[in-house]
Amino acid sequence: MSDVRKNMDALRAIAESPRKQLDRVLAEGKKAVGVIPYFAPEELVYAAGMVPFGMWGAETQVSESKRYFPAFYCSIIHTALDLGIKGEYDGLSAVMIPLTCDTLKGMGANWRYGVKNIPVIDVAYAQNRTIPAGEEFTEGQFKKIRGQVEEIAGVKITDMALAKANKVYNENRKECLRFTELAASHPQTVSLTDRAMVLKARYFVERDAHTALIKELNDALEVLPEEKAKGSRIVTTGIIADSPELLGILQDNGFTIAADQITHESVDFRSLADETIDPVMALVKRLSGIKGTSVLFDPAKSRNTELAEIAKAAKADGVLWVLTKFCDPEEFDYVPAKKILDEAGIPMLQIEIDQQMVNYEQIRTAIETFKDML
Amino acid sequence: MADIYTLGMDLGSTTSKGVVLKNGKEVIGSSIIDAGAGTTGPQRAFEACLKDAGVDRSQISNITATGYGRNSFEPADLVISELSAHALGVHTMYPDARTLLDIGGQDSKVMSIGKNGRLDNFLMNDKCAAGTGRFLEVMAKVLEVGVADLKDLEAKAEQTVSVSSTCTVFAESEVISQLAKGADIPGLVRGICTSVAAKAASLVKRLGVEEPVYMTGGVARNTGVVKALERELGVKITVSQIQQLNGAFGAAVYGFGRVK
Ligand code: SF4
Repeated sequence: MSDVRKNMDALRAIAESPRKQLDRVLAEGKKAVGVIPYFAPEELVYAAGMVPFGMWGAETQVSESKRYFPAFYCSIIHTALDLGIKGEYDGLSAVMIPLTCDTLKGMGANWRYGVKNIPVIDVAYAQNRTIPAGEEFTEGQFKKIRGQVEEIAGVKITDMALAKANKVYNENRKECLRFTELAASHPQTVSLTDRAMVLKARYFVERDAHTALIKELNDALEVLPEEKAKGSRIVTTGIIADSPELLGILQDNGFTIAADQITHESVDFRSLADETIDPVMALVKRLSGIKGTSVLFDPAKSRNTELAEIAKAAKADGVLWVLTKFCDPEEFDYVPAKKILDEAGIPMLQIEIDQQMVNYEQIRTAIETFKDML
Repeated sequence: MADIYTLGMDLGSTTSKGVVLKNGKEVIGSSIIDAGAGTTGPQRAFEACLKDAGVDRSQISNITATGYGRNSFEPADLVISELSAHALGVHTMYPDARTLLDIGGQDSKVMSIGKNGRLDNFLMNDKCAAGTGRFLEVMAKVLEVGVADLKDLEAKAEQTVSVSSTCTVFAESEVISQLAKGADIPGLVRGICTSVAAKAASLVKRLGVEEPVYMTGGVARNTGVVKALERELGVKITVSQIQQLNGAFGAAVYGFGRVK
């Protein structure tokens, strides 16, 4: 038990102090590259001997970013840009900015203007990422990015180094997935905030270092007897759900996260890179295979049917749709998802989250009511 | 068997309401105090409904609190969310209710209720005063009348002067400029009621309208808004006879269920 707590606290400490982690990396003489969501090929950064540093915004009030983005843009890009302008990311050698949604399409230009000391690496994927022509386009982009990363690192990225990076990332993904299952079967030991912070920590340290910590934690959890959930089991879905206030409210109401379809969490680590093929192509194929998110184009909208399947497989009592405020891709998905879940008889609650939120009372009321409903 | 008394408190953001219930059915005392959570309102409403019922606190088997201030009401034995309380309240009084719209001082909420009285689904308005009682208060102030007078003014209207429903601040300046232009006051009041109704109706439509539709909350007293809602939704709306007390009533019913 004490091992479990010790490991979780170590991972929480990392998740709660991103800047400290960045300072440590820089003090060790390493270079770091910022990675804005979603699914940038950060394995290239790792393979070049640098440290990828996740940038999913933060719970903070923004002021500077409003000069560049209107107030009705999502808080992830607002807070990320705001922190950039305020110098919170100083020391990064570059920042990778994917062009996955309309909001992010403006981020590259705004970043170049607002944060002049951190150069941008644009990350473009084919919209039709799964067809051969799409994969070919993405492969071309990744090769271009490989060159840009090499220039920043001042080293060549060999195929062997990239293959090793893919392996390191796969190992991390498997342990993260294992952890979500162990957290669901040990709801007394692993609080919902512990769960989120353990997973989030991977964005701020070298992946192999995160793997070592989370593996030790998983091994310690595995030998503990399974614990009964106090209340209902839910599946969370959405872009990000790491708000301690939100998780605290869910915890107070006895909820267990049986599984998630959160882009910041499982969606990212459920899909592995094929270690038997060319390592750049492995990155491309991984991207083609990612399911369960609104941010990558999917004409079949399989995210919604998958959500019902996840809920059934996890024997969940309901689904919590954590809508990131002002996120169009998520809003578009909600309507068909609601229909599918209604048909499957799975209750769903939608709540709207914003990293700049200070008052959670309405969310508390909604969640308490959802508990009563279930 | 001795009578069982339970007490429900609904502590809203602008008013505090209490209900004393005898044997889970009969309302024997109630109170409405125009001061919400965080003021002396809750305590005053608590004492007032006991007094109205003519029972002593020691006779009360259970106190259940609901509403925004539920978690800080110290005498409570139990707390439930206001949505659950409202659904239970309306179902107990009107077992046929399938949709309930509650418009209070600061928020509005709509609930679908299953045949067994279970809350099937619900929606709450976003952080916006449009479509709530607050909107009516702001407009009444601009018109220099009391909120309670709005319904009589609306009844005199022969036309509708349209008022925006998206934002209270914009609507307020619209009303001021209409006044400056000498607009017909009853027509303007009808426009104001229609604006509240349009915003609230969009919430109901999002959830899906299933009849019979009931309405509770302070705004249900305004017949102008109720009529406008009926027009917007194309259904008949029955205003609960206990209007503002529905949440407190539901809380007392819940407490009774627990005691029993
Ligand atoms: S996908 Fe949504 S949350 Fe993410 S950057 Fe785009 S708008 Fe923001």
